[in-house]
Amino acid sequence: MKTYSPKKADIVRDWYVVDAEGLTLGRMATEIARILRGKHKPTFAPHMDMGDHVIVINASKIVLTSDKAERKLIHTHSGYPGGLTTRTYADSMARRPADTVRKSITGMLPKNRLGRQMATKLKVYAGPTHPHQAQNPKTLESPGARREVKV
Amino acid sequence: MARVKRAVHSKKRRRQTLERAKGYYGNKSRSVRAANEQVMHSGNYAFRDRRARKGEFRKLWIQRINAGCRLHGTTYSKFISGLKAAGIEVDRKILADLAVNDDAAFAALVKTATEASAAAGADAA
Repeated sequence: MKTYSPKKADIVRDWYVVDAEGLTLGRMATEIARILRGKHKPTFAPHMDMGDHVIVINASKIVLTSDKAERKLIHTHSGYPGGLTTRTYADSMARRPADTVRKSITGMLPKNRLGRQMATKLKVYAGPTHPHQAQNPKTLESPGARREVKV
Repeated sequence: MARVKRAVHSKKRRRQTLERAKGYYGNKSRSVRAANEQVMHSGNYAFRDRRARKGEFRKLWIQRINAGCRLHGTTYSKFISGLKAAGIEVDRKILADLAVNDDAAFAALVKTATEASAAAGADAA
């Protein structure tokens, strides 16, 4: 018996929409990265993009726990001497909420050509609306919400 | 005693090396020295990776079983522990295939495994 290997034609992609309001950034991001990569499907294959599309709305209303909004820093470097820019998450969220959320999700995808291709399936919007109604996205219920602790 | 000319065998050996290096990048398929080194390395990689392949497949099966388990509300580790408790010895290759092609059979196994681990937990308590 041969292990199943998916063909391009076998791939069925769903669309999911996530309302980020009140969700924790990292916990939401891990589950979205998982869906983008396709690890939630039994047909998963590491050499192919098996994932679904994910739309994130209300990105500006995401939550960072503890004092991480002020304490956690984002570093970017332009490549020129003295080109380091350091911002707090609060600052970054105020400037470009959608990009900040997108960055934390794509940072959890593989850092290669396939990973960049997977990242194109992610659509992040700061506001409550999105232009993908035609795709009939399914609602993904609060990914990364704290699970109930078992006693 | 018959005379042995050395070039015949040298040329033969070099020709073999170049034939094995067909399709390699740049000098590695053209110059004997570069080709020889690459052929030796290629052989080693092939030997190593034929063994590594077994592990890679097992890794893929586990990822697929885990995805299947999560669709049925459990996780890989709980599922495998439950199968052990139930005394089911279906290997990971078949489990992964069931997860892909036969969801009903996989669901039945998940159910059996969950019940077995619940029973085992009750015994221990």
